[in-house]
Amino acid sequence: MRMLDQSAGVRRFLAVAALAVGVATTSPAVAGGKFVFANSSAYDTLDPHAIFDVGRVASRINLYDGLMRWFDNPPHLEPWLAEKVEVSDDGLTYTFTLRDATFHDGSPVEASDVVYSIDRILEMKKGAFSLFAGTVEPGSTKAPDAKTVVFTLNKPSAIFLATVPEIHVLNEELVRANEVDGDLGTAWLSKNDAGSGSFRLTRYDPAVGWQAERFDDHFFGWDMVEDPLDVIEFRTVVEINSRVLGLMNGDFHGTDGYLPQDQVKRLAASENVNVDEQESMRIFYSIIHNGRSPMTDVNFRKALAYAFDYDGFIDNILSGSVARDPVPLPNNMWGAPADVKGYTYDLDKAAEHLAMVKEPLREITLGALAGYGQTEQAAALLQNGLNKIGVETKIVTEPWPVASGKMRDEEQMYDLLFLWKSTYYADPNNWLGEMYACEQIGARNNSWYCNEEVDRLLSEARVSTDQAVRQANYEQANRLLAEDAAGIFVYNTKWFGPFSTRVKGVRFCPIGNGQEMRWVSID
Amino acid sequence: MTGAAPRGRAGTLQPGLEMRALVLTVNRLVWFVPTLLGLLVITFTISHIIPADPIAFIAGDNATAEQIAALKAKFGVDKPVPVQLWNYILGVAQGDFGISLYTQRPIAEDLIARLPATLELAFVAVILSGVIGIPLGVLAAVRRNSWLDHALRVFTVSGLAIAAFWFAILLQLLFAMKLGWTPLQGRVDGWGPDPVTGFYIVDSVLAGDLETLADVIGHMVLPAVTLSFPAMATIMRFTRAGVLDAINSNYVDYQLAMGVPRRVVVWRYVLRNALIGTVTQVGLVFGNLIANAVVVEAVFDWPGLGLYAVNSILQSDYNGIMGFTLIMGTVFIIVNLLVDISHGLIDPRETG
Repeated sequence: MRMLDQSAGVRRFLAVAALAVGVATTSPAVAGGKFVFANSSAYDTLDPHAIFDVGRVASRINLYDGLMRWFDNPPHLEPWLAEKVEVSDDGLTYTFTLRDATFHDGSPVEASDVVYSIDRILEMKKGAFSLFAGTVEPGSTKAPDAKTVVFTLNKPSAIFLATVPEIHVLNEELVRANEVDGDLGTAWLSKNDAGSGSFRLTRYDPAVGWQAERFDDHFFGWDMVEDPLDVIEFRTVVEINSRVLGLMNGDFHGTDGYLPQDQVKRLAASENVNVDEQESMRIFYSIIHNGRSPMTDVNFRKALAYAFDYDGFIDNILSGSVARDPVPLPNNMWGAPADVKGYTYDLDKAAEHLAMVKEPLREITLGALAGYGQTEQAAALLQNGLNKIGVETKIVTEPWPVASGKMRDEEQMYDLLFLWKSTYYADPNNWLGEMYACEQIGARNNSWYCNEEVDRLLSEARVSTDQAVRQANYEQANRLLAEDAAGIFVYNTKWFGPFSTRVKGVRFCPIGNGQEMRWVSID
Repeated sequence: MTGAAPRGRAGTLQPGLEMRALVLTVNRLVWFVPTLLGLLVITFTISHIIPADPIAFIAGDNATAEQIAALKAKFGVDKPVPVQLWNYILGVAQGDFGISLYTQRPIAEDLIARLPATLELAFVAVILSGVIGIPLGVLAAVRRNSWLDHALRVFTVSGLAIAAFWFAILLQLLFAMKLGWTPLQGRVDGWGPDPVTGFYIVDSVLAGDLETLADVIGHMVLPAVTLSFPAMATIMRFTRAGVLDAINSNYVDYQLAMGVPRRVVVWRYVLRNALIGTVTQVGLVFGNLIANAVVVEAVFDWPGLGLYAVNSILQSDYNGIMGFTLIMGTVFIIVNLLVDISHGLIDPRETG
């Protein structure tokens, strides 16, 4: 039986937190204050089980708590609402012991609330449902007493713990009291709060955003942060220019960290703004439809990989604002092998491989996402390289709703499609397992790629409880995927978090996007 | 005599004309339903022939096939398009605009929450356009071919030619960033007055909260000016043309010969005749104004229907797009109905 508890993890975590607070105390801060964040996505619902995107993560991690939580970068997982977790040797049973914590209405957080929350996720089939589907059966989670929650998985899953932070714990009694016609309280929760998080909702307007006040009775306490925020406000500001100008003007204290480089430079030049640069976990790559000729031929795929001008794209078009990433896993994630150099822009090699292709050649469709200039630029750059070796191409630019529909259809899928893969949970399975496992074909494996050896490595890593085995498997899978040119792997994103110079203590984590506000203070 | 000087008390309809106005109103109201139905069918068809899969989109890239199928069934998009259209028409007839695929709330609730913000901005912009555009149009006409006329022509051409989003950003940079005279964006600092009508100007007056009123007006200035600029240009051009047309009428010569001061002739009689064309334009201008509001609201982060429409289009939210189109079509038809009725009040030939 393995055990994770507060002792080791939380000590490290507290040390980092203390560091963050240390930064906060470098200048005298006025107690409290209001922090206003300009968010690019609209907060159309606050129900933490209905949404699962990075753009609206703030409402989930500030108003709600999970049993575990991700911190910092590279992300590390720590017990949060749980005091400790025990894992059975067969990897099927996870037993969490809860801390003493209270919901915003003063009632205690109990194991039955956790059971209600996971069953609600499974019943709603929204948000993070896909993380637990097939692994946790409805009704299988039990609460033997008020402080103990037992998850019994129907098959071993090494990624289960990594997904537990997405089980945001709801106040069962409060939600049930607001259910209408068996809607699981979705209508009520879309605009109200039933959590125990560090902040308590005070105002919400779907057209504007939401505001919350500090929850003084939060289980973690506030001793570690000097002058914690009194009020946080997340406003929807769709237009980039308005977010940038508002931050420079002092109307906002922070905005999202994935702005175009020209805007980042504009912000960095402002005396009112600090830009915090960190390597994130969001890779940019091109899907190659491995199931369609001539991409079924590895030589053709290698010709594609050699025909892309990586340095030109990264250094000239993106001004070096990203990190070259030769494999489908972020460089800073464990499981990324250090010995893979990746492909370079080499038209001679591309032509060599093209000459070895046995399948008949034809015009290749390069997909790009409308409104996402980088995908169009990358497609144009690849088109240029392929034209030089005699491969005819056409670029098809379509909006994301169109592309996301085609990605699930083998016939409609583009030959290639440039896009990003974000972090939903910090485990290599988030990338490799979902992008290249055979069982995910047509769902999350949009490459129609199925390699027996890669699949064996990924399947073993998905269930193994031995970290060394998992790491070795993922490293080898990366090598094979790179060798196979299963896709064109370009870069890992950097996060350029723009915050007012008055803001101290921001802790960036790729999953929370630097938006957990309990560590932040403002002068 | 080509023109007709007004007779009787202005603004009073004769009994026969009252009946005509009533018939006109009823006639327009009867056409209201088929017009909206046509609008609905066209919008529905266009939004459904786009090869987008909004369900896969809202389900997210981690969604399973099971999740997507469940959502398709929930929203009824697994049925044939004609069936979906029929169900939608039945729903609308009962006041049910469906559920937003994106916000997952009733469309009616979303639209009602945002409509006041857009209407308030549009009304202020129309008023601004009229109050400034009409006098400037008269001035341009009475001083035809003077430097003032030429300068105003540059103004009107600019108003029609400059892209709203670019003009908006220029205004932001100058007045909010450089001079600091106005807020950069938003409708109000914080959360606004307690909602009664949803119109912040009215609500802050009702609450007797002058501080909020000043704040609301401050936030209104830049978006209203941006929105009214092209509308103002159109109104100015039509007023100028109308005044020039009317000023050459025999009745003007007659009144001037009778010794009526030129100022009185122009502002009291000529303008009244000239306004008929202008008022017609106000109805059309309102349509353009709503279209421009989509852009202006996005730039100024104005929490109205325009911003909602942008999000709905980006997410391929069929129901959101159709709800927006229907409500805006309704507003457009109502405004044009009011314009038609107002003709009766303005046109001297229709008054006793």
